[in-house]
Amino acid sequence: MTDRDLDRYLAVSPEVVPSSGFTANVMEAVRREAATPPIPFPWKRTIPGLAAAALLLVCFALAALQAPATASAPIPRALSVVLDTGRALGAGWIALALLISLVTVKFAKRLATA
Amino acid sequence: MTVADVDADRAAVEQVLNGEIGAFEPIVKRWQGPLVNLAYRFCHDRSRAEEMAQEAFLRAYRALGQWRRDAAFSTWLFALATNLYRSELRRNPAPAVALDHIAEPRDSRAEDGGLEERDQAAAVRQMVDRMPAKYREALMLYYFHEMDIEAAARSLGVSEGTVKARLSRGREMLRRKFAVHLVACKTQEGDV
Repeated sequence: MTDRDLDRYLAVSPEVVPSSGFTANVMEAVRREAATPPIPFPWKRTIPGLAAAALLLVCFALAALQAPATASAPIPRALSVVLDTGRALGAGWIALALLISLVTVKFAKRLATA
Repeated sequence: MTVADVDADRAAVEQVLNGEIGAFEPIVKRWQGPLVNLAYRFCHDRSRAEEMAQEAFLRAYRALGQWRRDAAFSTWLFALATNLYRSELRRNPAPAVALDHIAEPRDSRAEDGGLEERDQAAAVRQMVDRMPAKYREALMLYYFHEMDIEAAARSLGVSEGTVKARLSRGREMLRRKFAVHLVACKTQEGDV
């Protein structure tokens, strides 16, 4: 089978004529959409979360500023605390496990769709 | 698509953005045929194609403000619709018809090895439906846009080189599958 044969077979597709009420249905949906007021952004729910995040950020910045960096410890103390906690919890291993899972899923998906 | 169509689309979009909802109607009338036909190529179901096209128009209406005037309105509309149809089909795939259900050759003495032209075309279209999405979509859009690689690439949101590569690989897969299908048909004929 040549490319020309393929072009001949695939270029032809049954022509579908939209039903007579199609435009009216679309316009009705559009008018309904226009009449519906947009859903307001849920500020009431968002503001507490944003405030908490901002407060946390400020606390972290203050802690970093109050702990002066010494020559022997070039990174701020607050940051080193975070790193130590991460190390204690095995964050590196968790990150590695997540990475391996991600690679495995991607690879399996690629194999399935190839 | 004529220059007048391009100008009419642009003017209608401006009117809609200024609050004249009725100005969207000429856009729907102008593009309903192509959008429904494109949807039909994806799902092979007339009523579902209309539903998908209606949703595409609705999304286009919502996103009209995001159309950048550097490309034709139709290009933007096709890309939006293609995106929607692809995700819709991924969520709810069109039922695949087994190759066994394709019509048997009517005349086994035909010169082309047993299959008549119409059956061959039907078999090839069924094979396209069963291909991996990226090759199927490239083939579908290439032929929908009357073999225009640039238009197919714009609709898919990928480079022309990617479309060319997918077309080439897709055609190769079709040729291989078709050869297997022909052998299977001949074997069946031999058994009968």
